Amino acid sequence: MTSTTTPGPVVRTAFEQVLDPADVISDPVQCRAYECDGLTGYRVTPALVLLPRDAGQVAAAVRVCADLGVPFVARGAGTGLSGGALPVADGVVISLARLKRVLEVDPVDRRAVVEPGVTNLEITAAAAPYGLYYAPDPSSQQVCTIGGNVAENSGGAHCLKYGFTTNHVLSCEVVLADGSVVTLGADTGEQAGPDLRGVFLGSEGTLGITTKITVRLLRTPETVRTLLADFPSVAAAGDVVSDVVAAGIVPAAVEMMDTLAIEAAEEAVHAGYTLGVAAALVVELDGPAEECDVQFEQVKAICDKHGCTRLHIAASPEERAAIWRGRKAAFAAVGRISPDYFVQDGVVPRTRLAEVLDRIAAMGDAAGLRVANVFHAGDGNLHPLVLYSAAAGETERAEKLSGEIAELCVELGGSLSGEHGIGTDKACSMPKMFSEDDLAVMARVRAGFDPKGLCNPGKVLPTPRLCGERPGKYRPHPLEESGVIERL
Amino acid sequence: MTATALRPTDLRSVQDAVLDTTGPLAVAGTGTAAGWGGTLGPVDAELDTTGLTGVITHNPGDMTVAVRAGTPLRELAAELAPHGQYVAFDAARVADGATVGGLFATADAGPAALVHGSLRDLVIGVTVVLADGTVARSGGHVIKNVAGYDLAKLLHGSYGTLGVVAEVVLRLHPVPKASATLVVDRPLAEAAELAGLVLGGPYEPAALEWTSAGRLLLRVAGTERALPARVERLRELVGGTEADPWADPWAEHAALVRGDGTQAVLRIGVRPSRLPGVLAELPAVAVTAGLGTGVATVALDPAAVAGAHALVHAAGGTSALRSRPAAAVAPAWGPAPPAVGVLRAVKAELDPKGRFGPGRFDPWM
Ligand SMILES: Cc1cc2nc3c(=O)[nH]c(=O)nc-3n(C[C@H](O)[C@H](O)[C@H](O)COP(=O)(O)OP(=O)(O)OC[C@H]3O[C@@H](n4cnc5c(N)ncnc54)[C@H](O)[C@@H]3O)c2cc1C
Repeated sequence: MTSTTTPGPVVRTAFEQVLDPADVISDPVQCRAYECDGLTGYRVTPALVLLPRDAGQVAAAVRVCADLGVPFVARGAGTGLSGGALPVADGVVISLARLKRVLEVDPVDRRAVVEPGVTNLEITAAAAPYGLYYAPDPSSQQVCTIGGNVAENSGGAHCLKYGFTTNHVLSCEVVLADGSVVTLGADTGEQAGPDLRGVFLGSEGTLGITTKITVRLLRTPETVRTLLADFPSVAAAGDVVSDVVAAGIVPAAVEMMDTLAIEAAEEAVHAGYTLGVAAALVVELDGPAEECDVQFEQVKAICDKHGCTRLHIAASPEERAAIWRGRKAAFAAVGRISPDYFVQDGVVPRTRLAEVLDRIAAMGDAAGLRVANVFHAGDGNLHPLVLYSAAAGETERAEKLSGEIAELCVELGGSLSGEHGIGTDKACSMPKMFSEDDLAVMARVRAGFDPKGLCNPGKVLPTPRLCGERPGKYRPHPLEESGVIERL
Repeated sequence: MTATALRPTDLRSVQDAVLDTTGPLAVAGTGTAAGWGGTLGPVDAELDTTGLTGVITHNPGDMTVAVRAGTPLRELAAELAPHGQYVAFDAARVADGATVGGLFATADAGPAALVHGSLRDLVIGVTVVLADGTVARSGGHVIKNVAGYDLAKLLHGSYGTLGVVAEVVLRLHPVPKASATLVVDRPLAEAAELAGLVLGGPYEPAALEWTSAGRLLLRVAGTERALPARVERLRELVGGTEADPWADPWAEHAALVRGDGTQAVLRIGVRPSRLPGVLAELPAVAVTAGLGTGVATVALDPAAVAGAHALVHAAGGTSALRSRPAAAVAPAWGPAPPAVGVLRAVKAELDPKGRFGPGRFDPWM
């Protein structure tokens, strides 16, 4: 089952019956371009890569997979951070990159119908002429595809107020693992029967491949007010968030960065953040002008009350963009202050933010590693960045620390992942969060969609093959031990 | 044979109740939607969730609440109110004592769906008991969470056919400090045009519904200081008068949603721009129409239900039969959706013996 031999000519020929032969890639060098997603430590070269040009070809290709019993993995832009699009060695990758049409923008009903390879930002670009936009805004929005967003139920800074991908997708056309095509969801929030659409959202490509997505569009808010506030401690910034919430304000976004993250971001984009402060908070409000003005005054007063040392209010769209540039650059920018880093993605109940950050700092000290923190403070979604040097032999320690941070989040009543997904990366941690029965029921649902287990196997749910007999305990990945994959 | 009555009071006793019986089982809450959906077939036992009540955890600072499924939503609301928080959900049945689990399992929603969606958008975790006694959880207690499948969604709208929803975790919202409703008397077509103007502008209404009393209802919610100016701005656009808080126009709306018992009540959803056209063609006696959501409640003669399903379906929409007069015979569901095969397969996985809610999705599964 784990052989990495190139597929027999029969398999290639079978796909050539339904796709242009030029769209069936079997050259190992070309296939290697698909060997990993954004979690580059896991690499598997697929047997074949398929580049279908429309939904019909996707369905036909999946039908061939079903007939031959070949596992398949859908792939969007490959920006996923949990190894969700990691290929299966004896399987095929089905890239949706060529399904790039915006099929419809309906300004009256405020919705768009798009193919899965359309990027998140392209939807907003298509909607913008009508004063509309697509709300979920992952930091990767310039490149990640809506198909990937659906699969991951992606979030973004503005999801606190507006909800996640699942709250904005009305329906999906889905190619099931047997090659049949169904529509999940409906033209409105009202569906007849169980919400199968909602189960598909966030299923990380394990229940089928979506080939057409209908998303809701929102009207661009009349007013947007953004501030950047510095605080002498993370706890003080956390108190601001609590007080804002207690005042009944639902900000469009509340983001926090700590000293290290600020340092990295400033070095990269010079966005005007203050070097050396313990915490910076970005708070954005939007909505009708009257409402925004009232609440913005309240937020400013709350910042002052908690010892804000500098309050910068964006005076123009350019200044607002600069604040966001700093925040969104923070991830990649960390590369400037450390040779290597792991991005973690965990969630704690918002009221435990200060506690979790203290414990992360202590864990970092104990491990002798620095941790930079960037997070969606409004919904308790942390992105601790564990800094290390592979050259100095710190990889294993850093990876262990990163994994322990995710599991700490579960211990504090939160989740293993807020937006990056479980994929390959965290499948073995799932037993920390869910009981055997919980996972078995998820597996039963999966079997309902895909009885033969051909659709993105080995992701999300732990398997003995991937996790060993005692899933959950940290141990080197078996594929790693056998030299099939390596982490850099 | 009359069905055995089971009335568990905690998760363990739900599991026992399911395991102590072997035959078909119906799940019931306070009965506010007992007759909705397909007619229930014969069952050996009825699992009454009304003993399964109370808040399990409420973390005001996190704005989440875990609650047992048999808790009437209005009781939950009363517990949350002192914290200035609420479940942003206002289905008409809430006032009749409907349980959280019942509202969830029937995918009900009210006018607030314009902004907040239905419970499918507010649920962040669920605990379910399956026909073989398995207790499974999905989601959790945090609003942002993508670990594992979102099984809560599967149970939303499942009408008790996949498992017993025992506990639900919900996202909460701050209660708006102030709200007001504008009432504009207009026939449907004109109301739809006004709705288009409102939704196309910066007004951000909290709810927007037309009723067959010939009125467009526009709710605005926000802060005390900002609200008067917002209402004024809206009035300049659509005219109308601010509703007298004592003569709540939303109560009148809720009454139309419930129906008066003499007609069949059909719930439909179609693309908002198609809704007025579809409604004009239906032989409706009474209507509430969410001109922004595309979701409407239509009272009509039971004999007209089959035709109404077909009409809505032809417009690309969905429909479900709610209450109907006791003796009426009418199809609960329209043509089967293309995903009915998945539905049956998932049902076969979770409830292979078909114990739960026989007949509810007849003839689909
Ligand atoms: C710098 C950076 C910043 C990021 N910021 C965020 C952020 O703010 N918020 C956030 O949520 N994520 C973020 N991500 C993660 C990532 O961008 C998202 O998970 C995104 O949704 C992945 O989209 P993709 O097109 O790259 O999908 P891929 O990585 O190609 O695939 C992701 C998963 O989706 C499946 N899939 C892809 N297409 C389909 C389809 N059509 N049908 C079914 N399954 C499919 C794949 O099998 C895989 O399991 C970030 C990533 C990077 C690199």
